[in-house]
Amino acid sequence: MNENASGLKSQVQPIVVVDSISKSFTHNVKVLDNVSTRVTKGDVLVIIGPSGSGKSTFLRCLNGLEDIDQGTILIDGIPLDDHEKNRLKIRREVGMVFQSFHLFPHMTVLENVNLAQKLVRKKSKIEATQLSKDLLQKVGVDDKAAVYPNELSGGQQQRVAIARALALMPKIMLFDEATSALDPEMIGEVLDVIRDLANDGMTMVVVTHEMGFAREVSDRVLFMEHGCVIEEAPTERFFQQPAQERTRAFLRKIL
Amino acid sequence: MTRKKKNVLHVYRDISVFAAFSCLFGWLVVRGGREIAYTWHWNQIPRYFFQVDDGVYVSGPLMNGLQVTLQIIGLSLVLAGILGLTTALLRMSTSPVGRWIARIYLEIIRNTPLLVQIFFLYFVMAPILDVGRFATAVLALGMFEGAYASEIFRAGICSIGRGQWEAAYSSGLSTFDTYRKVILPQAIRRILPPLTSQAVSLVKDSALVSTIAVYDLTMEGRTVIAETFLTFEIWFTVAGMYLFITLILSAIASLLEKYVPQRTA
Ligand SMILES: Nc1ncnc2c1ncn2[C@@H]1O[C@H](COP(=O)(O)OP(=O)(O)O)[C@@H](O)[C@H]1O
Ligand SMILES: [Mg+2]
Repeated sequence: MNENASGLKSQVQPIVVVDSISKSFTHNVKVLDNVSTRVTKGDVLVIIGPSGSGKSTFLRCLNGLEDIDQGTILIDGIPLDDHEKNRLKIRREVGMVFQSFHLFPHMTVLENVNLAQKLVRKKSKIEATQLSKDLLQKVGVDDKAAVYPNELSGGQQQRVAIARALALMPKIMLFDEATSALDPEMIGEVLDVIRDLANDGMTMVVVTHEMGFAREVSDRVLFMEHGCVIEEAPTERFFQQPAQERTRAFLRKIL
Repeated sequence: MTRKKKNVLHVYRDISVFAAFSCLFGWLVVRGGREIAYTWHWNQIPRYFFQVDDGVYVSGPLMNGLQVTLQIIGLSLVLAGILGLTTALLRMSTSPVGRWIARIYLEIIRNTPLLVQIFFLYFVMAPILDVGRFATAVLALGMFEGAYASEIFRAGICSIGRGQWEAAYSSGLSTFDTYRKVILPQAIRRILPPLTSQAVSLVKDSALVSTIAVYDLTMEGRTVIAETFLTFEIWFTVAGMYLFITLILSAIASLLEKYVPQRTA
């Protein structure tokens, strides 16, 4: 065996492997229908598609917030199966940012970011606070550490939520329409933070309606409709020469 | 007229109405007493609280009864809290057996009279388990109020949005930690008011344990009356003492509400 070749192989080995997963909430309607994809370490995959097409559900399957009916999901080599242990392990490797923030309202900003570090990583308060302060500075809300979430603007809350998700040093970050609940003037500040993460080489799966942003940060784009993957391609090819007519129709509508 | 002046006027009006009703009630009682030729002996009441013999404090039956009642209330409140929370968590758990047990407990307790439960525990279970009257009383009250408390806990927990669960889970928290650090601290603020009125119910229901000869406040009151025929005075006094306990409970609850800030999403 050639050592170089195996080294190369481990480099391009996908960190997210999704193989023909299906899911339905009610018995007959498939919200996800035979979806497969792969994400390479350090890559950004953007998922686009009309609302109701199953983007959120897909993202939530990736960290086990939803159970799948069929198929397999492998995160950093760990299978997302019925074993509670694996599920917890995966959640510790995967950070998630929601459309409506979901900060813990009874805790200060700092406590929000400290919580999982203390409970999951068993860090002391001092250790946790150190990292939290760094992360809050990174997302530009370090002056709000002692404040409760309801005293923050939407943009600030979402940046705190990103810091909270980063606090476990995840290998993968999931963003579900992170800017859709924000007033227009705050969208930029949140996108800046996500862009910085992409530039730092974070592996990310991003659901967004911000096409300019999608084009700029992503390595690949996946277009979904009615729970099916219609097209997945490297970003430039996806936008310049989409192969599917339905992709072209969707892009015409939103660009 | 300014709003402040108006408020003051309201207070004066309320006080006068209250005073008028109090006078009317007092008059009715006095008149009723006269009708049946009742002679009042309020001056005899203090010695049923306590006496001082040669400078030594000796507590009377009412104080002893109050002490027992407070003990029963305290212990069964703790038991009801534990049972209530456990049952609520069981009902919402993923374990079918757990949900099943919780349901059976709730249905039995809420669909039979407390008095029957007390008798059942006292005459059937107590001999088998070899527990005394006091323990039986605590057990019966704790189980009864626990069933109602569990519904209060459940409603409080359910009122916390799904997003909080998902945020906690995606941070890698276990279900236990999620309850402990995220859900319950938020739910407790909503649970506190209904839980207080349930505690007040417990105080009142505790009088029923006098039926199995536990010497609580009610039982002591009945004993004093049997000896002295001070029927009106003693019952007024006993009622006043229960009122005193419940008012203190409510005061504690509103203090807690004041100092536990409401911060929910
Ligand atoms: N918890 C749920 N129960 C039932 N149906 C759901 C649930 N969540 C989502 N759905 C349905 O699944 C479909 C896909 O939803 P979603 O994944 O949120 O789409 P998107 O994020 O692309 O807008 C929708 O038709 C939605 O109504
Ligand atoms: Mg969605």
